[in-house]
Amino acid sequence: MAAKMVLNEDEALELVAFLVTAARTQVDEAAEYGSLRLLTAASRLAELIAERVSPETRTFLTGPLKQIPDLAVRTADPAGYVKSLDAVCHAVGEHLATHFGLDQKKS
Amino acid sequence: MTNPVLEAIRTRRMTRALTGEPIARAELEAVLKAARWAPSAGNRRLHRFIATQDPTTLKLLRMVSPGMFQRPAAIVVICIDRAKAESFGMRPNAKGLYIDVGTAAQTMLLAAHSLGLGAGVVTSFSQAAVSAVLNVPGGLSPEMFVCLGHAAPTQPRGMPSRGPVTWQTLTQWERFP
Repeated sequence: MAAKMVLNEDEALELVAFLVTAARTQVDEAAEYGSLRLLTAASRLAELIAERVSPETRTFLTGPLKQIPDLAVRTADPAGYVKSLDAVCHAVGEHLATHFGLDQKKS
Repeated sequence: MTNPVLEAIRTRRMTRALTGEPIARAELEAVLKAARWAPSAGNRRLHRFIATQDPTTLKLLRMVSPGMFQRPAAIVVICIDRAKAESFGMRPNAKGLYIDVGTAAQTMLLAAHSLGLGAGVVTSFSQAAVSAVLNVPGGLSPEMFVCLGHAAPTQPRGMPSRGPVTWQTLTQWERFP
């Protein structure tokens, strides 16, 4: 697949700024915010690229990736939270296998 | 027992989704005017507010604020005037400094609510980056944002509470047994 830009410079800078400043704020904040910030970063990246990716990736970005509420944290329901994360990670794995053609290769 | 003030306190919510609609300068000024009347330890007034409605500034502040989910039409940055606090002999981490940030913020939140605006606070931001974006003088430290705008019809689900919260669960009558 030909490489194509899915972020412009302003959008990439926004994400860089988020990640760097989150690294700093996380030093002072509750540990459970670590996962929250990473998911927020993933969500923002997804919003930025959704219109410029393949239909299959768009379906993934707007579907399974959005299943965890924006403000969800571990404390209220630790087991449920981990289960939700595992479900998203499973969907990531499935999409990667499809996107990179792993599921088409003969073993 | 109820009255308009109690009702406003009861119905105020942290607004984390805002429409793109701007707010009037007069509304922002009304919120700032209310904050002037917030309780202040020793009436020392050790805080300064930076108000912005500039779209580019708002965008950059959001970029360096991981805890900002909303896209505000205006932001009031509550700063501690550390040079002035030091002149009163206060330690940098004196609790009064931070308590007064809270009283100013809550007063602004209630003022915004009374005007029909959506408002929410953000503390998850890089103070260093915010200082650079706003060219904040060295004696001031940005401590909290009050984000203002018009509430979107749909709000993200709030942080879940850890069990039921009532005034009774928060209160101990008289001396502990």
